[in-house]
Amino acid sequence: MFLIHCPHCQEDRPEIEFAYAGEAHIVRPGPEQQDAMSDAEWSEFMFIRDNVRGEHCERWWHANGCNMFFNAVRNTVSDKFIKTYKIGHKRPSASQIQKWKDAANG
Amino acid sequence: MSSDMKFDQGLTLPEILSGNDLKIMLLPEKVRYSLRIKPSDIAAVNKASGLKLPRKIGGSNLGKDQFVMCLGPDEWFVVANVDARDRLEKIFAKLEKSFTLSITDVSHRNICFGLMGADAVKAVNIGCPLDLSLEHFPVGKVTRTVFESAPIILTRTGEDNFGIECWRSFAPYIRGFFERYATDKAAA
Ligand SMILES: [Zn+2]
Repeated sequence: MFLIHCPHCQEDRPEIEFAYAGEAHIVRPGPEQQDAMSDAEWSEFMFIRDNVRGEHCERWWHANGCNMFFNAVRNTVSDKFIKTYKIGHKRPSASQIQKWKDAANG
Repeated sequence: MSSDMKFDQGLTLPEILSGNDLKIMLLPEKVRYSLRIKPSDIAAVNKASGLKLPRKIGGSNLGKDQFVMCLGPDEWFVVANVDARDRLEKIFAKLEKSFTLSITDVSHRNICFGLMGADAVKAVNIGCPLDLSLEHFPVGKVTRTVFESAPIILTRTGEDNFGIECWRSFAPYIRGFFERYATDKAAA
């Protein structure tokens, strides 16, 4: 079974309880910024994503669990979760992700 | 609302399966409340209300006539006997004066199936993918999860004693599932 670690429940839970919620760390412009944005800039914010092949920071939702959103680093090729962390933490650097991978591989 | 009102649980058969190693039944009607409270207020809310809301997600407190559970960092669920309604509503009215919180009466929304017996773990695990070993799912643990893809709250009140709390609209589906399970079990 595919398990995902929920940083709020602090345990591994079956994937069927979760929902994917798009790329993480995308800052939503405030109302004034939105007024100042051109259509091109708005469509960039709305629709254009990095679509990373490899380690991807993304949001997940423990919909049928604690009902919280959190972030995860997942490899989009192997579908392996490297780490999950609470929203509010900074986007992990490449060296941080490497450290997590090394720790997971013992 | 008077406390002697009857809820339409949407189901009538109280007993679905009755065997030596497994009993599945629709539990009697209860009052239910969904509470959203700031985690930083919880100690003060507990002090003011005496509700004994657990702090840990998945934690619960089973009292004489009420069962309080923590479902998320700011979400609690209270299930109580129908005659505890007036007492609880008085407590909630008091809390609403002193705290910023949300308390919603969802008595009519949910029903609960009880599963008892040595085969209860097996029966729950047919529809729910959680690890129900006592190490990972001890007595007293509760959680929102899924049963045959239907959203439920799973409660463990004894080693062989589970509750499957679901929305009324999912109840015939889950009952049907248990009925088929009972038929298969009888045939095996
Ligand atoms: Zn969770």
